[in-house]
Amino acid sequence: MSDQTHIPAGHDLAPGEEEQHSVGERILGYVVGLVLALLLTATSFFIAGTDLVWQPSIPVALIVLAIAQMGVHLVFFLHITTGPDNTNNVLALAFGLLVVFLVVGGTVWIMSHLNGNMPPMDQIMRMRT
Amino acid sequence: MLGKLDWSAIPFDQPIPLVAGAVVLVAILGVLFWVVVKGHLPYLWDEWITSVDHKRIGVMYILLASVMLLRGGSDAIMMRIQQAVAYQSQGYLPPEHYNQIFSAHGTIMIFFVAMPFVIGLMNLVVPLQLGVRDVAFPTLNSVGFWLTATGALLVNISLVVGEFARTGWLAFPPLSGLSYSPGVGVDYYAWSLQISGVGTLVAGINLVTTVLKLRTKGMNYLRMPMFCWTTLASNLLIVAAFPILTATLAMLLLDRYLGFHFFTNEAGGNVMMFMNLIWAWGHPEVYILVLPAFGIFSEVVSTFSGKALFGYRSMVLATMAICVVSFMVWLHHFFTMGAGPDVNAIFGIASMIIAIPTGVKIYNWLFTMYGGRIRFATPMLWSVGFMVTFIIGGLTGVLVAVPPADFMLHNSMFLVAHFHNVIIGGVLFGAFAGFEYWFPKAFGFRLDERWGKAAFWFTFTGFYVTFMPLYIAGMLGMTRRLQHYDVAAWRPWMIVAAFGMAVLSIGVICQIMQLVVSIRNREALRDRTGDPWDGRSLEWATSSPPPVFNFAFHPDVRGEDAYWDMKTRAQQQSFDHDVPGYQDIEMPRNSPTGFICAFFASIMGFALIWHIWWMVILGGIGAFATFVVFAWRDHDEYVIPAEEVARIDRINLEERRSLVSMAGAV
Repeated sequence: MSDQTHIPAGHDLAPGEEEQHSVGERILGYVVGLVLALLLTATSFFIAGTDLVWQPSIPVALIVLAIAQMGVHLVFFLHITTGPDNTNNVLALAFGLLVVFLVVGGTVWIMSHLNGNMPPMDQIMRMRT
Repeated sequence: MLGKLDWSAIPFDQPIPLVAGAVVLVAILGVLFWVVVKGHLPYLWDEWITSVDHKRIGVMYILLASVMLLRGGSDAIMMRIQQAVAYQSQGYLPPEHYNQIFSAHGTIMIFFVAMPFVIGLMNLVVPLQLGVRDVAFPTLNSVGFWLTATGALLVNISLVVGEFARTGWLAFPPLSGLSYSPGVGVDYYAWSLQISGVGTLVAGINLVTTVLKLRTKGMNYLRMPMFCWTTLASNLLIVAAFPILTATLAMLLLDRYLGFHFFTNEAGGNVMMFMNLIWAWGHPEVYILVLPAFGIFSEVVSTFSGKALFGYRSMVLATMAICVVSFMVWLHHFFTMGAGPDVNAIFGIASMIIAIPTGVKIYNWLFTMYGGRIRFATPMLWSVGFMVTFIIGGLTGVLVAVPPADFMLHNSMFLVAHFHNVIIGGVLFGAFAGFEYWFPKAFGFRLDERWGKAAFWFTFTGFYVTFMPLYIAGMLGMTRRLQHYDVAAWRPWMIVAAFGMAVLSIGVICQIMQLVVSIRNREALRDRTGDPWDGRSLEWATSSPPPVFNFAFHPDVRGEDAYWDMKTRAQQQSFDHDVPGYQDIEMPRNSPTGFICAFFASIMGFALIWHIWWMVILGGIGAFATFVVFAWRDHDEYVIPAEEVARIDRINLEERRSLVSMAGAV
């Protein structure tokens, strides 16, 4: 459907269309992304098993590393940028984040209240002992 | 070799499913035989089964939905008769059969009637309204349809091979766990939803991309017809919510197949988590269904009132508000679970808040009608019927959104009446309105108005006679899903409801008659201009049925109500701009990818249900190989030469010109 590319004048690219970049540039982007992703993964494994850092900080560090990992994936592999032709992607990402926040946050909130009011069997058992 | 499958799977001792199954099988074989003998098979294969044309796929979705509506409707009739006779007796359906029927009824009506119906209408209409030639991913579209059909097929196979779930349409554990449901029923349920869920997700991605990326010249977001907006909102919800369903059912399946403990009572499983997750999908789901219906009503009300939609921007805002808030209310399905007053209060308030944008929409439709020249054609009747019915359903919804009231009404017949009130009154009426409204566009002839109106009045009356008694029965304390009961006060209402079901069935028969009569009189009902209703949006700017490329030229949109705008500026003639010359048009080639993929998915699904592992591997490899072959294709487009485009376009222009000159002569 090459004749449709002219339609939405001056903004979004049609689906499946690549931006104009040379192959070299694109490969470089993926390689940088891969290296960063591997680094973050390796750091996560290292942090999880080490006693070099203050122990209670480990979960926080893992969460931070996980979020950084997502960022690397979004930027280098899914090509989310702040460019003007990327509004849709950024909005979609924002909507996705909102939904994840609502569902995950809501679930944690609901389940913790539920467990407070009606503890699961094993918790009741533990309370008795 | 065949896993759990043996002759005991066929219910030889139960006449009802066996006879029904046999009749359906004979009918299918008869149709197949007729198709093959008459030599229609190549036509069917080339023009429909392998088609990647969004209009054809839309029609097939609606056909699937209509067939499954008859199946789900039969279940409903059986349930109503059972409850009418099962007072202080066992009725005519044994409990295990009755339980399968209400589970199948809910599953079928939501996943294989309502979903394909609205997705079919969106597929058919949205690219036309946007003024483009196809959806963003045509072959993916076909895959989505055929995977949905696979799910429907598996549900129907369960009628004669094995059994269906006895757990209700959402299969709550621990009842749906292996210890309480050791049979294949829950597996049929889960795998058919998993496979059709992939299809739905694919359709959602496709339609979101289409609306966001493919619009004709000048079609800004704020010039899109309302139906495109609701399509966008609804498909955003599909993309966001369906993965939750897939993940939840995957966990249930892990529990059942590999001995995991996500939702078991023992070993740290949490049953309540299933309720929480499934409704985190389930509540957006009802808006996935009803938002497109709202879009259809917006189009219909505006067209048949001869006015632009009142408060277009507020409508857009209301749609997007519903889209977001629909993710903040899911707990109201399980207030009684015991999360406590804080949580219940917040979710109760959110549930009442979501009624506000819906109310905005109702007022907008009313004000669109106010001062308009209203034509009460069949689509408009469905729309007005919707407004009355949906307000009642909405108000009982606000009532059960109050947690203390919900504690009284939870899982009662009142609830059953409420959600049928909004789903039939909202989604089904919307689907029928859209069906009547866009049928001429899809097939080139109008539907018979007399039968259409009869269908409306019987369905409308039948709905009230069936479901208003259920509200009362609920108030009298009757709970849902009762196979038999001993309370004398409920009996009269059950009998009235069964009578109402009969009236509703007459409505369905009228609808079938309407189709038959219209097809026979198609020459008299022919729509020659492509604009039978004096329409306002771009789908009416092309011929009926539209050529495969939809538009010879991309329409140039200069405001809201694009086609109305062109007509009022007497630009009808601008369609005969022979001057700029026609150009070659590239269209995607037909592809059997969807059908073959779904064929292997069906095999895999069936094998997974019956634990036939070699067949699972076979189906999985087949489906994946199909995908790989498609990904490595060389030629995916063909060219329609400019002369052919010109020839097709001129025929339509002749018709339009002759109509204009006739109107001028009068």
